[in-house]
Amino acid sequence: MSQRTTISRPGLTRRELLAGGVTLGAAGLLAACVGTTSGGGGGGGASTGAVTLQNSIQEADPKAALEALVKAYPGGDVTMNSVATEQFRAQLTNYLRSGDAPEVLSWYAGSVARSYAEEGLLLDVSPLWEGDGACAGFSDALRGLSTDAEGKQIFVPTSYYWWSVFYKKSAFEKWGVEPPTSWDEFHALCENLSGQGIAPMTNGLSSTPWMASGWFDYLNLRVNGAQYHRELLAGEHAFNDPEVVDVMEEYKRLIPYFDKNMVSYTSQDAATPMAQDESAMYLTGAFVTSYFPEDQRDDLDFFSVPVINDSVPTAEEAPTDGFFAAANSDNHQGALDLLSYLASAESQQQYIEESKSSNLPTSPDVDTSSFSPLVQKGIELLSNTEEITQFFNRDSSDALQATADTALTRFLAEPENMKSILDEWQTAAEGVFAS
Amino acid sequence: MTTLAPPVTPSVAARRNRRRRPRAARSPWLHVAMIPVTLLWLSPIVFVLFVAIRSYDDIAARGLGALPASFSTDGFATALTDGGVLEALGNSVVVTAWAVFLSLALSSVAAYALSRFAIPGRRTILLTMLAGNLLPPQILLVPVAAITEAIGIADTRTALVIVQVGFGIGFYTFVLHGFMRSLPTEVFEAARLDGAGPGGIFWRIVLPLSRPSLAALAALATTWIFNDLIWAMTVLRTESKFPITAALLNLQGGFASAWNVVAAGSLIAAIPTAIVFFMFQKQFVSGLLVGANK
Repeated sequence: MSQRTTISRPGLTRRELLAGGVTLGAAGLLAACVGTTSGGGGGGGASTGAVTLQNSIQEADPKAALEALVKAYPGGDVTMNSVATEQFRAQLTNYLRSGDAPEVLSWYAGSVARSYAEEGLLLDVSPLWEGDGACAGFSDALRGLSTDAEGKQIFVPTSYYWWSVFYKKSAFEKWGVEPPTSWDEFHALCENLSGQGIAPMTNGLSSTPWMASGWFDYLNLRVNGAQYHRELLAGEHAFNDPEVVDVMEEYKRLIPYFDKNMVSYTSQDAATPMAQDESAMYLTGAFVTSYFPEDQRDDLDFFSVPVINDSVPTAEEAPTDGFFAAANSDNHQGALDLLSYLASAESQQQYIEESKSSNLPTSPDVDTSSFSPLVQKGIELLSNTEEITQFFNRDSSDALQATADTALTRFLAEPENMKSILDEWQTAAEGVFAS
Repeated sequence: MTTLAPPVTPSVAARRNRRRRPRAARSPWLHVAMIPVTLLWLSPIVFVLFVAIRSYDDIAARGLGALPASFSTDGFATALTDGGVLEALGNSVVVTAWAVFLSLALSSVAAYALSRFAIPGRRTILLTMLAGNLLPPQILLVPVAAITEAIGIADTRTALVIVQVGFGIGFYTFVLHGFMRSLPTEVFEAARLDGAGPGGIFWRIVLPLSRPSLAALAALATTWIFNDLIWAMTVLRTESKFPITAALLNLQGGFASAWNVVAAGSLIAAIPTAIVFFMFQKQFVSGLLVGANK
């Protein structure tokens, strides 16, 4: 009995408390909803020049460099949101389709941007490419890359980087070897290094299987040329064509030269044996410099993959990064203004210097004399080449990249099944093109 | 209930003590087996700790797996300042606290109604709620993004709380339903005779009796919601609202990762869940058995 009374007496007040708590909570939630909707709408309608910059830059130094640039932007408030690349990739469609889309987004030039433009999700940025616009002086290759199917410009390229075979000058000196100038010399170099007990080439395929496409792209560019490569990636040729078989035969000859552990390395881990002088060369992008300890970065040098078939034009891979603007945003003028600012020669120069990465400027007006010798050599490489491609996924699609990852990983493990692997690759690719 | 508790505890404790002593003589073998297993279990954490206290140059030159040749707290400093780990932790704590409180409040009411009242089709209701949990969240990402967008709560922490509550509630209701159904009918009859209405019974009888299962669910829900990434990325897009999981991903580079910073950030991010675990250790174990003794 005493138990009952002790429970029932405070019960009334407790019940009231609970009811009050629930009401308060609900009211708070409702208020929060209302608050954000009206806030968002008001900000857009007022058109105060507030702009959101959604970007996928993750590396610390480039991110800090972009933040500094954005902070110095004179045209108004910019909210900069950095999202991890893979999440950004997954959410990009949502961002662009949202009713209140971010004004400016970072992404890749080429087929990915074009497919969003086809859906009408991208803002026409041709004003920047005309007259004295920020992009008017950019090269024709960049203009072509940033143009959609209807001939409008929908992309603003701000930097690019190059792929090449990187090596350490001090290590080559120690082993008494020189960078090769022909394909036969390259093979001789690999033989020589193998004989000295050094893995001639490193690569990292574990969580970055797309690294295997680097050699595929380059061998295809050297054997069949850039034109064929683009057509192949656009579905106009088959992956089991004799031309591709030739490429894979060359790839097969390289397999013994790779580090035996390459399937367990990521692209970043793969630089460690090179830092320790256990492997010699690495075909990768210029971002490789950030894989090395600070005191080894000046020791890095590179040479282009030597010519195999001298009847095809020279070509290099140079993935281009930049920004596009969402058609669904509230502040189109703000987006164009911010894009002009980011594409200007001064901004590009400041970004490249502060980001400490080996990026190249897209604007011809950037003063490159203060850049590192490695970057200068990269600029020279790209200005002397006849054709420029992006990279497998950027020249095709992420879906086709997945088929390449499967096929090439298998090929590297069991090269003797090359024919059947190519047949399966073609079947998978047809599925991608059909969808 | 509280008046009954004190006399019981000492006797139980005494009984346990008496039992434990003879077992202690046999236990060395258990420890001989368990210590290596424990060390094996801890090795990944030790590995992360080793990575966190090395400098980037050391990691780049000698590889991730090498023993530390350098000591630096740069990783922690960078994670806390540039990485925004503290702000993100705050977001996570707020979202988790609200989501756990609301989902348990709502699901206990729902479970009470479904288990104690003859609601038509209650079995179907319960199974529908549970069935929602069997859907992989990935196929619901686009609809959820579209719905939050349509009702104008996209990119708010409120939306994240609502989504978390919505997706958790089915499972919590199912578990609490099983528990509440097993409460003896006599208690309810006695309460009704004493004049308690449905609300009174819920507040004074059902909730106190369900405390163990509520605590177990709270412990589980806290870790699930705290560690969630997929909903946060679907609902939020402003960096300053990101929870810790998304902030940790941002610490990782697109091409190159400063592993010492990532490892330091992960260790910091693990602290709140570790605290919750040690506080609710007992409930965690019983939480794993939730539903087993239905």
